[in-house]
Amino acid sequence: MRRSLIWIIAGPCLVLALLSAWWTAGLVAGDGLWPPDEVTLSEAVATRNNAEAVRLIESGANPNQPSHVRDGLLTNGYAVTITPIEAAVGAQRADSVRTLLANGAAVDQEELRVLRCLEEARRDAGVRELLAAQSTSAADCNGLRSPLERVQ
Amino acid sequence: MVGTALRSPAAAPAIVLATLMTMPLADSLYRIPIQVSDSLEPIVIAAKYDSAQHLLHDSLTFSPSTFRPLRYLQARALLAFTQATGLTYHAVFRGVHVVLLLMLVALFVAALRVRNVSDLVAFTVAFPVLIGIHTFLSMLLEAFPVNHFAEVGVCALGVFVLAQHTPRWFVPVVACALLVLSLSVIESGAMVWITVICCAAAGLPGVNRTTVVATTVVFAGYLLLRHLLGISSPGIGGHGSGFGDRFYSPEELAQRFGAHPLGFMLYNVIGGLASLLFAEPRQGVYALLAAWRAGEMHPVVLINVIASSATTALLIWYAAARLPRSRSAWSDADRTFVAASAALVANAAFNAVYIKDEIMSPAGLFYAIATFVAVRALIDSLPTRTVAATSFATCFLVAVAALWTFRAIGDQYQLRYHAFITRNDWVDVLRPDKHDDWPKDPTELAITKRLRAEAIGRRTTSPSFMPRWAERYWVE
Repeated sequence: MRRSLIWIIAGPCLVLALLSAWWTAGLVAGDGLWPPDEVTLSEAVATRNNAEAVRLIESGANPNQPSHVRDGLLTNGYAVTITPIEAAVGAQRADSVRTLLANGAAVDQEELRVLRCLEEARRDAGVRELLAAQSTSAADCNGLRSPLERVQ
Repeated sequence: MVGTALRSPAAAPAIVLATLMTMPLADSLYRIPIQVSDSLEPIVIAAKYDSAQHLLHDSLTFSPSTFRPLRYLQARALLAFTQATGLTYHAVFRGVHVVLLLMLVALFVAALRVRNVSDLVAFTVAFPVLIGIHTFLSMLLEAFPVNHFAEVGVCALGVFVLAQHTPRWFVPVVACALLVLSLSVIESGAMVWITVICCAAAGLPGVNRTTVVATTVVFAGYLLLRHLLGISSPGIGGHGSGFGDRFYSPEELAQRFGAHPLGFMLYNVIGGLASLLFAEPRQGVYALLAAWRAGEMHPVVLINVIASSATTALLIWYAAARLPRSRSAWSDADRTFVAASAALVANAAFNAVYIKDEIMSPAGLFYAIATFVAVRALIDSLPTRTVAATSFATCFLVAVAALWTFRAIGDQYQLRYHAFITRNDWVDVLRPDKHDDWPKDPTELAITKRLRAEAIGRRTTSPSFMPRWAERYWVE
């Protein structure tokens, strides 16, 4: 009885070995656990994946083109279609805003107003500083719909 | 010798288990792009030199406080290999890192010498300790561009395995070669000499007087060479480190402890040892203290502290209750335990100037070996104990094994997280809006462009698509 009892000690390690075998089998069959993200440009930005955003842009994606962001990344209960830079502001990522601006994202005055109002809803000092560098005048957010709002 | 151990019936399942658990680790390690910090600069330097001799000559004096010529020479050799084979930089540099991981695991399995059922069960506890301890991960996360701490770990474990077997004529030669290799990549390479001394002191049969003298001469020669080259030891303020519940910058450390460094150095040595034995402090910072003050405790801190403290208690039990007082009465297992324990304690002295997980990485390997010996002794003692004591000991070992297994699974998360961060670091290299900052040297520009393209081209997983709870349980 005592001899068999000691095999219980090996239990956790055997579980790890089985998990590892399953993980490896998944690798052979495809990408395994936690495969690389299949994302749109806006989703890459929303998930802090600046390198993926740059890869997509260098592969031909338009940094000014709105794209789909699935439910749960920037919004709860619904998906949105927004520009990458709106996703960056929504995700409160100054580094992503900087990366997009460096890689061809263009912000006109109307888009800048949208972004500054979005930043007022999702405060981030770094993003605010970058947007302020584009225009110092105060943004009028009256009547403006947030790009992260649910479309009825 | 190693072959004899491998032929025993229990060795095969141990090798199968180790292989199964290492494969996903190797995969996650291979997914990490070459780093910008620590890796790009040595690679560029190695590529720009017209000859290896010229590079060797200059690299001896690259820094006033470090002697690491092999860092650049091996980068140059790997660059040449890349060109000769047509492989990517990633495949070659990260491939070498994976080979180092496999060597670490193979040498660990060889050092344990699993021969029967008790050994095999003890192995199932010790292996998760090996890969779950935070110092092991530090051999996988960084690279300069080859991870020097993994190289030192392989060399130290190699010496340890040689020391466990009957003395052979080539042992002094191999030990000296491993010592030279490790001392040429980083100062922590001195752990190879420490390992030789600890193995000799513990009476492991493979290390004889010739090996001790030869390696000591090599080490003395290394110190003399450093002196002749004017290379000093780094002092307080050369590197940031923690004290109490916060991390201090190099400047802050120099200001606070520069005039009277002895107390701080003692704190670091004790803290370095405690970081291994109790998982606290990390980088000199006591997260428990900080959490207590902030009123918020992350589960990862508790899990790590409980797992390490329970395992250390087991080592203390073995040293106090199972280790014969007389050295002449020691068994092979006792000598292995003493050599491993002595080496891990001596490793703590390397933290004198600053504490870093990487510095204690060889100690982490020896900690897992000592754990194997202690767990096996406890398992072997079970038939002589009462039912209650057996049940308690079994529950204790299951709990310890479960905690370490949980920590080991966390390696995968941390490696993936690190791959994501490392790839993102390349975004700020060769930025299109900062053309003026691009390298002017055509060789440097070409290599940087290619490394960047390889890194950006290797898709990773964002933590946003991994479990949200994972960071609290696995990342300290």
